[in-house]
Amino acid sequence: MNPLGQLAVISGIALAAAGGTYLVKGPPERLLRCDPASLKPDELCLESIPAEADVVWVDARPRADWEKNGVLGSVLWNLDPTEDMQAFEAETAMRVAVTPRVIVYCGDENCGVSRQVAERIRGLDLGAEVFVLHGGWRALSEAGRVRGSNPDS
Amino acid sequence: MKTACGIWLILTAFLHAGLDFPATLKEVHAPADAETVTADFEFTNRSDQNVTVAKVDPTCSCISVKVKDGKLRYAPGESGLIRAEFEMGNFSGTVDKVVAVWLDNDPADKPSLALTVRVHIPVLVSLEPKTLKFDLGGKGEPQSIRIQMNHTSPIHVTSVNSSSEAFKQELKTIEDGKSYELIVTPVDTKSPGLAIMRVTTDCDIAKHRIQQAFAVIRKPTAAEAAAAKP
Repeated sequence: MNPLGQLAVISGIALAAAGGTYLVKGPPERLLRCDPASLKPDELCLESIPAEADVVWVDARPRADWEKNGVLGSVLWNLDPTEDMQAFEAETAMRVAVTPRVIVYCGDENCGVSRQVAERIRGLDLGAEVFVLHGGWRALSEAGRVRGSNPDS
Repeated sequence: MKTACGIWLILTAFLHAGLDFPATLKEVHAPADAETVTADFEFTNRSDQNVTVAKVDPTCSCISVKVKDGKLRYAPGESGLIRAEFEMGNFSGTVDKVVAVWLDNDPADKPSLALTVRVHIPVLVSLEPKTLKFDLGGKGEPQSIRIQMNHTSPIHVTSVNSSSEAFKQELKTIEDGKSYELIVTPVDTKSPGLAIMRVTTDCDIAKHRIQQAFAVIRKPTAAEAAAAKP
């Protein structure tokens, strides 16, 4: 058999094997991984935050997303200029006065808004520890820790 | 065989080069009364094949994004421009806004590019510090917030309102229309408390008119207690 024929046969076998694996095992797992060693100084892995932990969750996504599937008990603070930033400050300050540990999350691991919001909360100088959640809302959703999510389904 | 593989790898690298942006971060210094600011991102197709701008996502309802002339497909060597217009709303300070750009067959969760508009918006009425902290059970001695006006015309404080009666406040004029001091004293420090103090001014730009600061009575954090030790 010439080289092109060999290539076609090998490719065909590989394709069939891949297809069979997909049918038997399903699509590849794309769960978010959090490596503590690669975290930025102000980031946390969700695994390190127990579900019952006493923290103020701050949702940095648009209001509609927060209302739809934010963390139960979270407060909203996004950078939408149509929102009232002073109301965000006041609400967060009231919560932080009772619970001085804040974790900010936004849409996914590439979202930079949560870091900007965290910076603004630090700027209030309320004496709170302020962190950013690695993986954002996606990590929370995969762990079943947002409204309407269920990791077992 | 090695040569063929090498050529193939080089070609692959070239074919994925896509659009070249001289700057993916644009800083804009906006005037205090600006309602919108615009940032232009120029680009050139440096690859050897056509590149299509498949999708642009402003990631915020406050940004509108347009590709110049609505043109989405760019031949090798061709240049174009993406314009982002940012609505200022009631922002002040520095804000980063990101525009995600998907090219050709980018996966839905992995855009090729992130273009950032960094907007600097003047703070006309500045309150420092933003929060006064009183230790629970402490002496509760008066502390002050400096109110500094940073405008071309004078700005006067017209009123100060507090959300809590657990604190007393007194406004002192340092320089009329320019600089003030708000002195805050807790009535007592026996129990935790929070006051939101709203400082209203006669600033001619509405979004800068009212600012707020906080006063809290709370147990010092471990870090603060450690820092206070001699």
